[in-house]
This record gives sequence, C-alpha cells and structure tokens, in this order.
Amino acid sequence: MTPGGYISGAGHAGLLLWLVMGWGLASEPLEFDVMDVSVVSSEEFEAMRSASTPEPETEQEAVAPAPEVEAAPEAPAEPEPAAPEPEPAPEPEPVPEPEPEPEPAPPPEPEPEPEPEPQPEPEAQPEPAVPQIVEDPTLEESPRPTPRPSERVSSEAAPAPPEDVTVAEEAQEQAAESEAPPEEVVEEPQEETAPEEAATEIVTEAEEPAASAPLASLRPQARPNRPAPPEPAPETEPTTTTASSEAAEEPEPPEVEEDAVDAAVEAALAGAAEATAPEAPSGPPLTGSEQEGFRVAVQACWNVDAGSEAARIAVTVGFSLDRNGRVEGSVRQISADDGPQAAVNAAFEAARRAVLRCQNANGRSGYDLPEEKYGQWRDVEMTFDARTPY
Amino acid sequence: MTRQALFAPFLAVLLMLAALAAQAQDGPLRLTITDPNVEPLPFAVPTFEAETPGAEQLAADITEVIAADLTGTGVFRRIPAEAFVSSIESFAQPVAYTDWRTINAQALITGAVAVNGNQVTVKFRLYDVFSGQELGSGQQLSGTTDGWRRMAHKVADQVYSRITGEGGYFDSRVVFVAETGPKADRRKRLAIMDYDGANVQYLTDSSSIVLAPRFSPNGDRVIYTSWDSGFPRIYALDVGTVTRQALPVIDGEMAFSPRFSRDGRSVIYSISNGGNTDIYRTDVPTGQHQRLTSAPSIETAPSLSPDGSQIVFESDRSGSQQIYVMPASGGEPRRISFGEGRYGSPVWSPRGDLIAFTKQNAGRFHIGVMRTDGSEERLLTSSFLDESPTWSPNGRVLMFTRETQGETGAPSIYSVDVSGRNLQRVQTPAGASDPSWGPLQP
Repeated sequence: MTPGGYISGAGHAGLLLWLVMGWGLASEPLEFDVMDVSVVSSEEFEAMRSASTPEPETEQEAVAPAPEVEAAPEAPAEPEPAAPEPEPAPEPEPVPEPEPEPEPAPPPEPEPEPEPEPQPEPEAQPEPAVPQIVEDPTLEESPRPTPRPSERVSSEAAPAPPEDVTVAEEAQEQAAESEAPPEEVVEEPQEETAPEEAATEIVTEAEEPAASAPLASLRPQARPNRPAPPEPAPETEPTTTTASSEAAEEPEPPEVEEDAVDAAVEAALAGAAEATAPEAPSGPPLTGSEQEGFRVAVQACWNVDAGSEAARIAVTVGFSLDRNGRVEGSVRQISADDGPQAAVNAAFEAARRAVLRCQNANGRSGYDLPEEKYGQWRDVEMTFDARTPY
Repeated sequence: MTRQALFAPFLAVLLMLAALAAQAQDGPLRLTITDPNVEPLPFAVPTFEAETPGAEQLAADITEVIAADLTGTGVFRRIPAEAFVSSIESFAQPVAYTDWRTINAQALITGAVAVNGNQVTVKFRLYDVFSGQELGSGQQLSGTTDGWRRMAHKVADQVYSRITGEGGYFDSRVVFVAETGPKADRRKRLAIMDYDGANVQYLTDSSSIVLAPRFSPNGDRVIYTSWDSGFPRIYALDVGTVTRQALPVIDGEMAFSPRFSRDGRSVIYSISNGGNTDIYRTDVPTGQHQRLTSAPSIETAPSLSPDGSQIVFESDRSGSQQIYVMPASGGEPRRISFGEGRYGSPVWSPRGDLIAFTKQNAGRFHIGVMRTDGSEERLLTSSFLDESPTWSPNGRVLMFTRETQGETGAPSIYSVDVSGRNLQRVQTPAGASDPSWGPLQP
C-alpha cells in the first residue's frame, strides 16, 4: 500500500508541477498575421478608392445597365435568386396589376393584395424602368403570375378532382389490363391450366365441403367414445384435420347410418393421407415479412365497390393451398358480419375473386410461400375487412 | 459462477417459451386484409347472339346499352372486344373460362336475342370467371321491340345486382324541368326521361312556370308546383294519361315543395303566409289537413324517411338555415346539421341510412350526405351552384342540378356516386334542372 501510495503521490505531484509550469503552448503568430493584413488592406483600399473614384464608378454603371438589359429577356430565371433587388422589383409590379383585373373572382384574393403592398416602395426607383418592362420581354416575364393561377385553380376547382379521378382510374386499369394478358398467355402452355379448370372438380368439391362441414361440427359429441378404441390410426397421423381422425373412428361404431358420409370421409382421408397429414406440424412459423408478402399479394387483387353495402361487411374465407401455393379445392365462407344476404354474398365473392385471381398474378403460378414451411400455410383463413370510410 | 447458475434456468425457460410459441400455430394461417382496391371491375360482354334472322342489329344495340349501363356506374369497366381471346358462338355452348381469365375479365355476360314479329326475347347468363361458376341462373325477358332499351336496362340491373349485392337503378325514369331560352326569359316545362337521358318526353307546355317535380312512390304520378293560376299551386300529373289535377292543399299565399308520402296517399308540403312558412300534410282522398310545424321561422323542403316515421326538413329557426328531423306526425324537431354554412333541400335516402343535402359555404355550393343523426358529413361536389339532390332507387347515386356562372349560365343535371366518385353529366336535349328520380319500373 505505501509504495503504491508513494508512487501515485509522486505521479500526481509531477502532473501538477507540469501543469503549473506550463511547458506548453503559444499561438501568437496567428494574431500577428491577422492584425497586419486587416489594417493595411482597409486603409490602402480606402485610399485607393478615394483617389480613383470617377473611373471605377463609370465602369460600374456601365456594367450595371448591361445586366439590366440582359435581365429583361432572362427575367423569369433571374428574379428568383433575388440578387439584384431594384431590378426584379419593377417586374412583378406590373404583373400583379393586370392579373386581378381579368380574374377578380377567385378566392386567393388576399394573396395578390399583400404582394403589391411591399413592392410599391421600390417603385419610386425603377419607375423609369417600367416602360422597359412593358416591352415585349416583360410580357415574357409574366410567367411569375403563373403560380397564382395555379393556386386559384387548386382552391376553386374542387369539383374538377372527382372528374379527374374517374378518368385516372380508367387509364390505370387499361394499363393493368394490357399487362395481364401477356403474362397469363405465357403461363397457359406451362401449367396446363385447362385440366385444373376442369371445373367439374371444383364444382363437385364445392358441394362436398358443404356436406362434410356439418360433420366436423358434430364430431365433438362423438369424441367421448374415442378413448376406448384409440387404435384406428394405422393409416396416417390425423394431426390437424379433425375430420379425418373422426372419420377413422366412426366406421367402427356402426351407429351412424350415413354411407354417403363415410364415402366422402374416406375420400377426404385418402386425400389427407397423401400429403397433408405429415406436413402440419413441420416447419417454423412464417415470418412477419413472409406473412406480409402473402397478405399483400392477395390484397392486390381485392377490389371492392366503395359505396356498396358489401364494402361495410367483413368476411372471413378459408381455403387450402398445394405445395406450389395454388388454391386447392374451393374457397369457402367461414364467417361474415351481419347484413343483407345479397351484400354478404357480394363481399364473399369479392374475397374469393381476390384469392383466386392473384394466385396467377404477375406471371407466377401460385402464391410465393416458403415450401419448407408448407405445414404452416397449407390451410389459410383470411379476413377481408373493408370497413373504412370511402 | 453463481450468477450464471442463477440465469441458466431463466434462459432455459425463455428458450422453451420461444419454442412453444413457434409451435403454437397449429391451426390454419390467419391473416387480415383491410386495404382494398377501389377500381372498376373488368367485365366482358360479347355481342349477344341473334337467334333469329334480322335480330342482329337489335342484339348489338341491347349489348351496347347493357355495357353502357354498367360502365356508367363507375363500378365496372368493359373490356373491348378486340381483346377477346375467344368468342361466344352460341349462347348454349359452355364457357371457356381460361380464355376470359387470360384477359382478366372477372365477369362475363352472354346473351341471345330473338325477334318474332313485334316480340323480342332476350336471354342472358352471368359468369364469375375466376371461380368458374355462373352467378345466379340464366334469365329470359320478353317484350316488344319498342321497349328494347328497358329490356337491356333490366338485364343490366340483374348483372349489377348479382355482382354488387345491391338493387339496380337502370330501368328507372327521371322527371325534371326542361329549360330553354336566355336566363332573363327562361321557359320551363316538365319532362320525363330514362335515367340515362334517353326517351325524353315533355309533360307540360312552357306557358307557365313549373317547379320541383317529384315522383310518386310507384312512379305513376308526378307532383309539382305551378304558377299556372298566377300564384304557386300544387298539382298531381298522371304520367300515363298526362292529365293533372290540383291537390286540395290548405289555403295560403304560396304552396310549394310538395312530396308524396311513401304510400302515395298523402302529401307533405309548405305553405307560406305573411313571411312565415310551415309544413303541412294533406290526406289526398279525404282532403284532411294537418299542420306539422308552427314556428315563426321558415320551415320547408320536407322529406319523409323510408319507413314514413320521420320527416327531415330545413329551417332557419336557429338564425341560419339548417337541417332538422321531427316525427312524421309533427313534434319537437331535432337539429342535425352543425357545420359551417347553410344547409338545405334535405332528402332521405331510400336505404334510410343517409340524408342528402345542399350546402352553401364560402361562396360555394355542395351536394353532400350525412347520417340521419348528422354525423359523418361528407361533401360530394363543389361548384358555383349545385342544388336539388335526388336519390337513385337503390340509394347509391345522386342526381342534382348544376348551374354555370354568368349571363350565359345554364342548368344541367349531373350524377355522382354516393362515395363521391364518378361525377358525370346526364345528357339532356337542353337545359335541365330539378331532377326527381323515380322508382324501378315493374
């Protein structure tokens, strides 16, 4: 301890000594230079200027009129930098005066009024210059007033926007239309869309889920029987699809009389056993960006009629995707807000169109989703909620 | 060491929770979309098939009217025939959905027209192209060749209704005041036309001034104010026979701003006496009168709610012209407009959810809508002079009068979607004002 204390004490003492003695710094040479230059230059400059005033003044004057003449034709660009104060002033003065006369009505009246007020002061100086401005170049300079008409139009023409909006919408869609055809034309030979459309399948499936859906809802009552014969899963692991697991149990207790239902369930089992069952638990969940990409992809094709009652109805649809991201089977309605049935139907159909249309949009075949996470996005429930003020 | 030993269990728990969260999504992937596109829905309507010789022109005309109806809503956009990949050779043939998907047609309308003498038969089907299904079932309409436009309108109404889920409005008519001549000597007469400006017919001559015609609920009569007798009186005109009768309103200096009740039995209107204007109701069959307001201010422009239980009207009892709602039998009115400016000519929507009005503020006129409690006010238009809004039968579109500024200014009729989109002028042969949109025709 003591040696350390000595060492530190010595060190601190040395530091204090060094600071006190100030073996250090000085910046005097800078001061010398500055003082010399400033004093000498100002005096000499004044002396030189006082001695030779007539010649430079004439030169400057001669220079001044030259830019004026030039400024007249080039006025539109120069006045904005505002470098020459007296020169640009006369230009705007005559401009505002003729403006209010032709168009007195518009609301931006307060704007033209304040502008002429500050400008009258420079008027006394450049009055002789006014005739110059009246000349042709001044007429060309009138672009300055242009910003005012633009303001007037923007404030007044509130009725115009709606018309423009309608026109714009049409133009945009035509552009979109021109893009869409070539994309899908290319796809057709590749995907063999005709067999997929063999819409006979879609139609029949549309009816089947309607029959199987109530079965799934009734299952919970049958489950108590389950613990007794828990064996029936030799085929596959009925992990997610409750309908398949329940269906496997039902055939054992012959209480149910529905042969047709059994057939449908077996068909569903067969389909599920092929690919879906082992996929459900696999893979990490979709990341936020992956979900957002999927959401945006469907949203791009979701089109609603803004003023309709259907636009105020939120509807949830369910559908399944194959590994390529293509809709498998039909898009079904899961739930919807209360409302007129026709409006609910219209809202559902708009959602269905969005899901079906955009799986082939932008030249793709199926939604772009990570295949390794197929189990996470095989079944989708998507809520379409347009309940925003139009 | 001890710290690490303490943190280790927490880390393990956190990792386990994360793993559980990762496995938590065992149900379907659930997403919510809230930002729809608002753009016209592209549809294809190949020229209807002519099933009988000589029906080609009529089939083409009907097709064009259907397309114009749908396109005019701003909700649909027609895909030009040049873009079609395939054609509909026969109304009975199955639809090749792929060809229509290729051109991004979301709806496809096919049809056929047959002419037999003076009789026309129109058949049509509507397809949802991307779902590969027919929307609704095919329908067949029959009529005379003279009524071919109405048949086209009815087909368009069906298509519109099936896709949007709302009632149509194409097969409807509008009564209005046709105006000719300079502003200082304007001649006015009643006229009636299809909603799209076709088939204009004049109901009165221009010998006297007529104002504010209004359709009866079933469209068989028009009630209006006329200066025929030298002072304003209310008349009812039978549209079919073009005969009129003066209504037995209560005595007063001026009777104006009439409207039928929803059942067509009674009329609500305003009577002006000595600078005071109040609202009355008269039962037409019995001639009984009922005074509904009794304020010393001006109450006028009454309009009944669809269920007939309430009346919306304008009044200046607060010092400025505002909109009020009161029970249909009279009673204490409730003010619903509180924005800047003056509000007038309120009209209750056929849906019952909105009230359209004229607003004057800062030197501009607007057509706007608000909820029946005055909330959610939205201005749809703005111009030198917009007034006299009237609702389409489905409560989706508003027609109104727009007059241009200056000595050469002339009135014309415009329509605008209740969303504020699709503002367009209705084609009329001359100046037109004060439109009243009638119901869908049977």
